[in-house]
Amino acid sequence: MTLLTEATDVFAAAEKGGRCLVAFAAKRQPLASGVFGYDQARRLETLLQALQAEGWLMSVRAMFEPNAPADPHVFDTGFAHDVDMVGAFEAPSLSAALAGTVRLEQAGWARRFATEWLLGPREFSTVQGRGAQSDHSWGFLALWEWNDAWSAATKAKRRAYDEECDVAFKGDVALGINIAGRHRIDWASRWHHAGLWEAPSLGSVDLAMQGHEAAADFKFTTSRHYVGRLRPLADFIKPDAD
Amino acid sequence: MSECIWIHYARPRPHWYGLNATTQAAHEKIWAATAEASLAAGGSRVGRYHIRGQQDFETVEIWRFPSAEAAFEHWSALTAAEYGELNAFANNIGLAIEGSP
Repeated sequence: MTLLTEATDVFAAAEKGGRCLVAFAAKRQPLASGVFGYDQARRLETLLQALQAEGWLMSVRAMFEPNAPADPHVFDTGFAHDVDMVGAFEAPSLSAALAGTVRLEQAGWARRFATEWLLGPREFSTVQGRGAQSDHSWGFLALWEWNDAWSAATKAKRRAYDEECDVAFKGDVALGINIAGRHRIDWASRWHHAGLWEAPSLGSVDLAMQGHEAAADFKFTTSRHYVGRLRPLADFIKPDAD
Repeated sequence: MSECIWIHYARPRPHWYGLNATTQAAHEKIWAATAEASLAAGGSRVGRYHIRGQQDFETVEIWRFPSAEAAFEHWSALTAAEYGELNAFANNIGLAIEGSP
């Protein structure tokens, strides 16, 4: 695999392990009584445990601490977006990732959620935020494509742009934001890249975005951003009350 | 490993139209060689169709690949050959449904 963009001061090319991001933006569907009941919830929980046993990581946190015991966690986005949650798992391979989305859908996920799945390999390694921030109760998912202006720019102009953006990324890290590297999702999406962050607060994400605006990050990208509060996935797959 | 369908929507980016015919043909030759390599590796091309009349894109191209990895390798080779810099695109991957005719 060739990288879509070059490594920078902040971002180092990841070891090529063949593992695959399974990110998702999901909206809960209004259901008739009994369509998503205890049976579906139990099947889904059993499958989530099986995937973990097969080597899946079940949260953004696990990308930083793969051996930490962790129940599946997502980010609650319903307060600000037209999807109720975004999140990310990591599968052992592209094939496992794609098959896993179908297994999840069939186990009951498709009844509960309308979902955009975003799959692809890691390009850059994780970047740990500065300081001893233990509160990472907020998350951020950025999807972007390199637009026509980037595509038409010379390699030298793109390099200068990467260096400008690196200033903003250094600012993110200084705010205590953990960046889960960068994943390439262009082979199966309209988006080219996914970026996932852990952040101490909504304010820190907003400050970080101001830094990216100042660095003219968005002159070469068309982006979609989601922000949400950390929450167990289990909260979203509870069966409806009768 | 399971068979996958790969659906690729594309349209030339604006600066494509500024390239002369020789340069355009040189790019197309490299991309055609990439497709040949993917065919030799077990992929099969269903076809490439014109859809400009009812879509944001100009063409849709459909492939079958023996695995998700093979689809990724095909796309990775194209983007390494500047395909994505000269074409806007959207891609989909789909897993064959077991038991489906």
